[in-house]
Amino acid sequence: MAIDTQTLKSLGLFSELDSEELDRTAKLIHPMRVMEGEVLALRREPAQMFYMIMKGNFMVSFKEGKAFTLHQRGDIMGWSTIVTPFRYTGTIVALTDGEVLAINGDEFKVFIQGDSSVGEKIMNRINPIIAERVPYFSREAREARKELLEA
Amino acid sequence: MTGMEAISAHNGWAISAIGVTIVFIGLTLLSLTISQLHKVLAFMERKKSDSRKKAEGAKEIDVSDILIPGDMKETAREYKMIIDRMDAPFSLPRLLELSEKCGLNRPYSNLNDLIQSGLIEPDGEGYYHWKGPENP
Repeated sequence: MAIDTQTLKSLGLFSELDSEELDRTAKLIHPMRVMEGEVLALRREPAQMFYMIMKGNFMVSFKEGKAFTLHQRGDIMGWSTIVTPFRYTGTIVALTDGEVLAINGDEFKVFIQGDSSVGEKIMNRINPIIAERVPYFSREAREARKELLEA
Repeated sequence: MTGMEAISAHNGWAISAIGVTIVFIGLTLLSLTISQLHKVLAFMERKKSDSRKKAEGAKEIDVSDILIPGDMKETAREYKMIIDRMDAPFSLPRLLELSEKCGLNRPYSNLNDLIQSGLIEPDGEGYYHWKGPENP
């Protein structure tokens, strides 16, 4: 089922995109139903999918038992798909049944890198969210990067 | 002697001016009183509610006064028992894990309900506090 561009525009992440850019974005998106207790991402695993909440409640947990919950439509999860070292920094689990828009990480990366204008608009929205979440995982992210460099 | 002459002879103009001034001052005072009336009423209302609170021995409203919906009371009690055995502030994933181990019904959505209702609150650093009453 394709997602309409008006819905995409209403989500904060894509609100700055024009209609042509929204059309191209829509082709990458796969609406997905999730069940209570379903794990969408595992910490330290390769980040393969990027998610946006349409409905439902989610918990993102980190090392040392830290966690935060997300409840708002348009909240994003799995931004590690587009940021090095491309491994999830947290585990995402659905607290209730819900609905998300999923984007394949590789396709999303190519999309953002292939069009600087779109890339800038999307990253402008994602960067403040990353900055907000850094305190939850900063040490872990540093360790992951170190491991990657050593490998 | 009649007309204007009579008015002037008997200080009519001065009396009129004093009359107008008195009425003007009176109306000004009346409007000022009305404009400040709400403050008096608020003061009286506050005094009345203070004395009522004193009479009932009402305590300060704090977080423990959060109302728990009837259908959540049992859930809140169960989770509070687990939280009491954890360090404060506690870890949300750990609480979830323990609630699963204890065999609680629908731990994920119940935990979500407790967060949404404000009984469990984030401390802003990744951990959580119980904000509900001590004995839900």
